[in-house]
Amino acid sequence: MSDAMLSPVVAIAADVVAGALLVVAGSKLKNSTRENLVPLMGVTGAFIFAAQMVNFAIPGTGSSGHIVGGVLLAALLGPWAGFLTLASVLIIQCLIFADGGLMAIGCNVLNMGAMTALIAYPVIFKPLLKFDGVRRPSDLRIFVISIVACVVGLELGAVMVSLETLLSGVTAIPAGKFFVLMTSIHLAIGVVEGLATGAVIVFINRTRPALLSSGTHDEQHNSLKRPIIAFALAAVVVAGGLSFLASSDPDGLEWSIEKVTGSTDLPVNANALSEGSQAVQSATSIMPDYENSFSGIVGAVMVLILVWAVSSLLIKKRRT
Amino acid sequence: MSKLEQAIITLQDMQSVRIEAGRTISPVCGLIVTVAYLVAMLSVSVDRVGILLWFAVYPILAAPWLGMSFTSVFIRSLYALPFIIFIGVFNPVFDTVPALMIGDVVVTRGWISFVSIILRGLMSVQAIIILICACGFEGVCRGMRTIGIPAFLVTQLLMVYRYMTVLLIELLNMKRARESRSYGNCRMTLKMWGQMTGQLFMRTVSRAERINRAMLARGFNGTMPLYTPHNPDRSVSDMIFTVVWIAAFAILRFTNISAIMGFNRLF
Repeated sequence: MSDAMLSPVVAIAADVVAGALLVVAGSKLKNSTRENLVPLMGVTGAFIFAAQMVNFAIPGTGSSGHIVGGVLLAALLGPWAGFLTLASVLIIQCLIFADGGLMAIGCNVLNMGAMTALIAYPVIFKPLLKFDGVRRPSDLRIFVISIVACVVGLELGAVMVSLETLLSGVTAIPAGKFFVLMTSIHLAIGVVEGLATGAVIVFINRTRPALLSSGTHDEQHNSLKRPIIAFALAAVVVAGGLSFLASSDPDGLEWSIEKVTGSTDLPVNANALSEGSQAVQSATSIMPDYENSFSGIVGAVMVLILVWAVSSLLIKKRRT
Repeated sequence: MSKLEQAIITLQDMQSVRIEAGRTISPVCGLIVTVAYLVAMLSVSVDRVGILLWFAVYPILAAPWLGMSFTSVFIRSLYALPFIIFIGVFNPVFDTVPALMIGDVVVTRGWISFVSIILRGLMSVQAIIILICACGFEGVCRGMRTIGIPAFLVTQLLMVYRYMTVLLIELLNMKRARESRSYGNCRMTLKMWGQMTGQLFMRTVSRAERINRAMLARGFNGTMPLYTPHNPDRSVSDMIFTVVWIAAFAILRFTNISAIMGFNRLF
């Protein structure tokens, strides 16, 4: 998700919810019994980042893919530590490699981190695949369950992206088509992600299975029920609270109304109350609607080029 | 050049751009100005390209003021362009409502929102590049800590940042060794990729164990200490920078500069 696709209200709401989840993750990890968890999380974040840099060939397609790492991190570190580690990777990718956006960090953390590490992992991966150090699951089982968990995690992320984009009202693609496009693309990405996750887990399961069992046992006493309820409540409160802030962009509902009626305003029967409120609204509105002006755009571009040229000259002069 | 080598170069470039930058601002002010810029700019409706364009004033002026060339910031922001184009390319297809005429050519609302998405994407990336180049990644982390971001998250960010280059170079060595063993067959199968990534993870764990012992030996208490330079002379200029830019963003957001300057009557 990029800043370009989001309205500030949606972005801030997602930032608040993601921030609350990160605080919960931090408090959970304070009680962790793993002594080297802090450096392990730090270096594992760097590992995921490095692993994303090498692509592997996808059989039969002629294309290549790389890992995102939500389920893998949760399998190696536990759900909360995995979530926190993936969030830090996403923040660094945004700040250093301009991947995503500063305002979109909350959305990306929820879409890629929370949906995989906090939902797909504890609901699908962990109950179906036990690394208890006694019996080793077969390679096929690891691959199948990894694919299912990754597909579910990424599909949930795709649904979130569709919702966030729809609420922001930036794209012109109809909601249904956008939803189908996102979920079908992420189905394919989920299978590839599952294969990659499975390949790494199979290797670690063969060579050092203790690494997997320590990751899954560490947080077994930390119930996810309470945080999930808190997360849902926080989402409702934040979404409700921020909905009072007016956005200049048409929201998803306005957008769909516009598609049907050709206007974002619904035809209403005028009465004294509605006329009065409209009068107040037009008197207090800072900038009423205006027509697009091509000449205004050209003028703005001309001035910006001039400002750029003058500032470049000034900086050259200052350097010499 | 592979993506891996490109990432290592970007990380090293970031450090050199930071050193070249003439002026610096306090990370807290940098973060506040960047967030204010993004909120103001992203709140402009996608069909208001005339208003949106004026927000380019910030990267154009702030980059040279902080000792960077806007051209280099602009070129670096273009890395994000393919993704931004992919986001907006469907708008001209789905939104064919006519919006304005340029001579005899009808421009649809889809094309206007497409241009708008590209502008929003590029300008938000440029703002982040300016923030990181002016304050440095560790400076931004220090700013985050000052404004109340929890210490565990800041410590995690600093740890990942510090070990990123180390692990990237380790992976590059592994990749080069494999390529030299495979006599020009550089295609990596899934199985091979899994073995290599698993191997990298095990090296990562051993490194984390060594780091943990070293950190404990040096009195690590769970929070990374942050060096905070004390420079009282800079606080006034930082304050002016913040106030001026926030006022500018408010003006750009709530007024139509093109109309005020009379550009609407040019053609």
